[in-house]
Amino acid sequence: MDLVLVQIFNGIQYGFLIFLAASGLTLVFGILGVINLAHGSFYMLGAYLALTLTEVTGDVFLACLLGVPLAVVFGWLIERAFVRHLYKRDHLQQVLLTFALILIFNEVQRILWGSYPHGVPAPSYLSGSIRLTDQLAYPVYRLALTAICAALAGAMFFVIQKTRVGRLIRAGESNREMTELLGFDSSRLYALVFATGTALAALAGMLAAPVESVYPGIGERILIISFVVVVIGGIGSIKGAFLGALAIGIADALGKVFLPSLAGVVVYALMASVLVVRPGGLFGRVIR
Amino acid sequence: MSLALAPRTQAADASVEPLLAATGLATAHGRVPCLRDVAFTVRPGETIGLLGRNGMGKTTLLRTLTGLLSGGPTASIRFRGKDLAGAKPAAISRAGIALVPEGRGIFPNLTVLENLILPERAGPSGKRDWTLDRIFDLFPRLAERRTNWGDQLSGGEQQMLSIGRALMTNPELLMLDEATEGLAPKVRDEIWRTLRVVAETGMAIVVVDKNLEDLFELADRHFILAKGEIVFEGTTADLTAEPDLVHRWLGV
Amino acid sequence: MIRLPSLPVLVLLGLIAVAFAVVPFVAGPYEVKFATRVLATAIFVLGLDLLIGVTGLVSFGHAAWFGLGAYAVWFVTPPDYEAGNLLVALGAAVALSGAVAAVVGLFAVRTRAFYFIMVTLAASQMIFALFHDTRIAGGSDGASIDVKPILEIGGATILDFSARNTLLWFSLAALVVLYGAVLTLARSRFGRVLQGIKANETRMNALGFDGARYKWASFVIAAMVAGFGGALFASIDGFVPPEILGWRESGLAIMMVVLGGVGSLWGAIVGALVYALAEEMLKSADLVGATVSEHWPIAMGLFLIAAVLGAPKGLAGWLPLRPAKPWAPAAETGAAVETRRASPPPRLEVEGLRRTFGGLTAVDGVTVAFEPGRIHAVIGPNGAGKTTFTNLLTGALPVSGGTIRLDGVDITALSAHAKARRGIGRSFQRTNVLPAFTVAENCAVAAQARGLAGASPAEEARAVTEALTSTGLVDRADRPATSLSHGEQRQLEIAMLIASGAELLILDEPLAGTGPEETARVTALLRDLARDHTILLIEHDMDAVFACADTVSVLVGGRLLAHGTPDDIRRDAAVREAYLGRFAGLEDAA
Repeated sequence: MDLVLVQIFNGIQYGFLIFLAASGLTLVFGILGVINLAHGSFYMLGAYLALTLTEVTGDVFLACLLGVPLAVVFGWLIERAFVRHLYKRDHLQQVLLTFALILIFNEVQRILWGSYPHGVPAPSYLSGSIRLTDQLAYPVYRLALTAICAALAGAMFFVIQKTRVGRLIRAGESNREMTELLGFDSSRLYALVFATGTALAALAGMLAAPVESVYPGIGERILIISFVVVVIGGIGSIKGAFLGALAIGIADALGKVFLPSLAGVVVYALMASVLVVRPGGLFGRVIR
Repeated sequence: MSLALAPRTQAADASVEPLLAATGLATAHGRVPCLRDVAFTVRPGETIGLLGRNGMGKTTLLRTLTGLLSGGPTASIRFRGKDLAGAKPAAISRAGIALVPEGRGIFPNLTVLENLILPERAGPSGKRDWTLDRIFDLFPRLAERRTNWGDQLSGGEQQMLSIGRALMTNPELLMLDEATEGLAPKVRDEIWRTLRVVAETGMAIVVVDKNLEDLFELADRHFILAKGEIVFEGTTADLTAEPDLVHRWLGV
Repeated sequence: MIRLPSLPVLVLLGLIAVAFAVVPFVAGPYEVKFATRVLATAIFVLGLDLLIGVTGLVSFGHAAWFGLGAYAVWFVTPPDYEAGNLLVALGAAVALSGAVAAVVGLFAVRTRAFYFIMVTLAASQMIFALFHDTRIAGGSDGASIDVKPILEIGGATILDFSARNTLLWFSLAALVVLYGAVLTLARSRFGRVLQGIKANETRMNALGFDGARYKWASFVIAAMVAGFGGALFASIDGFVPPEILGWRESGLAIMMVVLGGVGSLWGAIVGALVYALAEEMLKSADLVGATVSEHWPIAMGLFLIAAVLGAPKGLAGWLPLRPAKPWAPAAETGAAVETRRASPPPRLEVEGLRRTFGGLTAVDGVTVAFEPGRIHAVIGPNGAGKTTFTNLLTGALPVSGGTIRLDGVDITALSAHAKARRGIGRSFQRTNVLPAFTVAENCAVAAQARGLAGASPAEEARAVTEALTSTGLVDRADRPATSLSHGEQRQLEIAMLIASGAELLILDEPLAGTGPEETARVTALLRDLARDHTILLIEHDMDAVFACADTVSVLVGGRLLAHGTPDDIRRDAAVREAYLGRFAGLEDAA
């Protein structure tokens, strides 16, 4: 029973992390219409930035503060250099170009950081475990991570729901042409959304670094899972991504307890069953 | 039956620098020509009716003027002395042309209030005549429904919102595609009343609509489009004097 | 349409084949293995191009079928250092990939575009997880095939995959045969439908083809081809790592298809070869220097980006296409007369037809009968529900209520392709021909719909001749449909309907955007067709409507406002009001 409880905690924490990554992906696909396979690379970038910047600053949270602006700039550059060529191209070419970007990013990662896994220490003030019941202890950093992610998710909903830029993002998602008719230049909105998506994925990677080891293929697992979340939640829906990510996180964690050898299948089976019932995802527009 | 442009002498008006002067518009959808060398002018403070049966190019003309479609290599669009040919829709909007499109373009996932304040800004000459309060004065119904989502509105409310939202950009020229289509008679009357109020402020307006009586009451001049060409240009008086013309180009 | 390779292409392919064949004589074992791997990959990619390039389905899980084929060899290889039967191994590979793809395909073909990509990705990841996370076949360590399959007949060993050269030559022969087979399939009548689906699935459904079944069939065939390649791959090293099922392999295969040129089929082979050679070259320090070779993925990535942005048509785009075989009219004279039907055209009745979208009622209780052999115009202002009405009649949308009867038979609930087979043909508001096909090929695909109803190929050929003759498109027969003027494309749509043998023609704005001469030609054609067709004409051009329609129905706000002869309609006060607003009254006063 305790194991199940721990796994539910882990599932929620994992779900929040996936949400950060998947929310960027769903915005990029929903608003820009681009299938970005390189999104996982931004998560990897975050993890490695956390590695280096934690060595420099001594604290993973300071690393995040420095790393997020770097990721924004990086995402903006990638959008200007490559992604903006893809807006009017078909999915096949989008898949291809972003796949090529993965090859490059992975190699750059290998040049800069090498092929061996690394660990990033949690800050010393969050290093212990907390006793939840007599037999059950849970690492403090993981709890803090869940809290931070929840706060970030809350902040994201606030920005989307209550701010001018959030209104513009929602408007652009439902009717891009109308936003242009009202005087908003799409190409700037697109760059902004892409850079934000990059930063969100990178931040997820940075925060996750102390609980996962940092290794070369780290971005690819999160990429595939993020796509599953986008499909479950409905393209472009932040709310859908949130519910989808939590569902996937918990399903994955419980799958590891109850179906250890089939845990990898569980999330895809979940996606397949959602698609059978709702072909456009939980909050997607119905696509005929 | 005369298809020629009605002869008119408007020396006084012609001396005024036009607000919008577009010539050589030749928009095509792929290989299909939709506009054939169209010229279209609006003078300051003027209200224009744009007429024609369905599929004759009215919407295409409005979409070309707002930069959503390219008018082709021969197109020239001058607005308040600025060259807008080839400009992006966003730049044209900021230059002071607002479109209330067919279908209204309400953001369903934004509330009424959010739809209105999204484009809130001063006009191209720095004026801020249209504020949220004034829009709510114009359409009290919108004030009541300010917290409703865009897709919870009736068609009439959506149209009011779309007009109100366009006014929030403080434009110099307001264009409406199918201003009252699909609306109940009472709501139509309210839209026409509002447009007269807006016209009285001196804003130039272009209206596409099928209700000729109301349109004739509102507009100073009219253009008729048929198969992508302007087949008539003249005043309301010119048009009412020739019911044949109306029947030929607009009737059954 | 997919063309036969031109002479330069055949020469190129021949040279490539010879080069592969002589590898054992000029190079060592490493090169032989490399060449065999390229061949196995080329077969894998060839299958994918059948899916992407011919049917237009971008699968991001194709590696699953390649990998399953490879694992199948392991499954049928006996333990204890014995060789498996080669034919059994290849058969098992094709069967396993095909069987699993048949199940996955049932779900996948019901989705489109992004969702198809995601569903195939998810399916392949599930299969990957199954092999990677469980101990089914060596788990994450991979599966080892100790002794490779052999083919023995009567005690004599005919083929032994343990012999490197044998495997190479066998793979080369297999690729040549499969290329020929896939090319033939793609150019067959079946393949023509697949290409039609790629160009325009809605159009093909409206002609009477069940798009989902065709897509499913091509999905399974493509998987079987990939499975065959996988079996060869497993025999190279006798080792199958689970990673070959994964999404990276699927992505690489897509990359090779695009690099070679989508839809050319031979491009898939060249793409696989060029990718493998590029990788080998970039990894070789002697050729590109130590710095580049150490970081070859960067160079590879840049090469691919340059290829995507610079040559979207791939390598195949650089070589000439063989021109299409010129169309020849059906030999028999009087063909046009023969294809005319003896039976009278059908009568269409609609009763209380309704369709709602959420709270909005687009078609609101329409009851009307369209008598046979007449032209019936349906008019109404924008948003009156005309297009929805059309979509209900043709089955593109399900009805919310009411019945549709064709010659007294209730056809309300039939799907679009089932209605098409009962003789309902439609043209679309936006021109909807198959762009990559010639004019004659467009008509031939349409005529093929008659084959579904049992017509012989000769009858189909006559139908094409009749369609081209009656629309005056004979001298355009070999032109690509995209090169026609807009008006000619609208006529081609009508020609396709004639060729398809439809008896009830529903034409959605056939005159939109046409010039005066073309309008006159089309209206004359419609008058002619009305002799043995029932025609519904949805049109805005009032002059044309009143010139050629026998009856006019006016839809306003989803309701039938009036129905009658053109003269009745002209005199109808309610219709005038709908079109002219209150000006109708003014005009009378004036």
